[in-house]
Amino acid sequence: MKILIVDDFSTMRRIIKNLLRDLGFNNTVEADDGLTALPILKAGGIDFLVTDWNMPGMQGIDLLKTVRADEKLSSLPVLMVTAETKREQIIEAAQAGVNGYVVKPFTAITLKEKIDKIFERIDEQG
Amino acid sequence: MDSIQKKVQLEAATALVSALEAGDEEQAQKQLTILTQAQESALFHQVGTLTRELHESLSNFNMDSRLADLTNDIPNTRERLNYVIETTEEAAHKTLGFIDQTLPLASDLKQTAIKIDESWHRFRMREMNADEFRALSKEIESYLPTVKQHSEQIHANLSEMMMAQGFQDLTGQVIRQVINLVEEVEDNLVRLIKVSGHPNEHKQKDNKPVDPIKAEGPQIGAKNNPNVVNDQDEVDDLLSSLGF
Repeated sequence: MKILIVDDFSTMRRIIKNLLRDLGFNNTVEADDGLTALPILKAGGIDFLVTDWNMPGMQGIDLLKTVRADEKLSSLPVLMVTAETKREQIIEAAQAGVNGYVVKPFTAITLKEKIDKIFERIDEQG
Repeated sequence: MDSIQKKVQLEAATALVSALEAGDEEQAQKQLTILTQAQESALFHQVGTLTRELHESLSNFNMDSRLADLTNDIPNTRERLNYVIETTEEAAHKTLGFIDQTLPLASDLKQTAIKIDESWHRFRMREMNADEFRALSKEIESYLPTVKQHSEQIHANLSEMMMAQGFQDLTGQVIRQVINLVEEVEDNLVRLIKVSGHPNEHKQKDNKPVDPIKAEGPQIGAKNNPNVVNDQDEVDDLLSSLGF
């Protein structure tokens, strides 16, 4: 399981990376915005995407939409971890096909729950 | 000043000196008028240029409704900076609190390990009687689960300390917004100085459409805003209401 973590703040990438390691996901790669994330995604081999929303360059919501519009990437599970808390934004992300939405500041338990839930759903869908 | 004008002035000046020397007052007056006219024309030209510049700056200034918005942004900025202070303070206290909790655990493990190590050494050297050995066994028996508990607690505390560092992302987003605002204020102040006043004349022309999903970073002072969720539970509720 290879996970791509996209956030413009290196501290937050490090936190998410450490949490994922605690959950048993040791294989992670990082990008600091949508524009740098896309080539990594397109190169293939990423099984899960964790992305922030508010980033310079390409924002997380646009990255999500680009991923969903890409034939090869369209079914990639995407978890959004963001400080954006407006209802319109959450609805927009849901409509764009996000698999989970975690608001910052978050706890290790919340992150684990959301990731577990995403995998449960994937398993259910077979 | 062009060369023709210069020549005219020079001729007039020479003629003025000659007329004054010759005592011809009428001629002197005539030459003096020529000289002043040239100067006046240059002055008018300059005033004209300045007026045009002023007019252009004013027109540009009027179109910029951002200035009016900036006035509203200043109190908001104060709130944002206070948010940065509170968030960093909270994170520092949280981290220090977990350090306070963790240090005694580590030192307890160390003290007991030193004690057991000494006894174990005596046992290996056959310096221990049966009673002492029984006591050592009990000590080891109670120490091992303590090691497990303490190290679990230390791991949990370290994770909490790590999570507390999330403040850097949240406050960083807010500080970036404040930097942008300061840049805008600076830019507008420079323009304000250029037009030297008349701030009341600006009109609100370009009412840009508001993008409802524009990234805004952490919501500050939005506790009572129904359009903003306050915690993860509210996010989950909203998503499940959407059939998520």
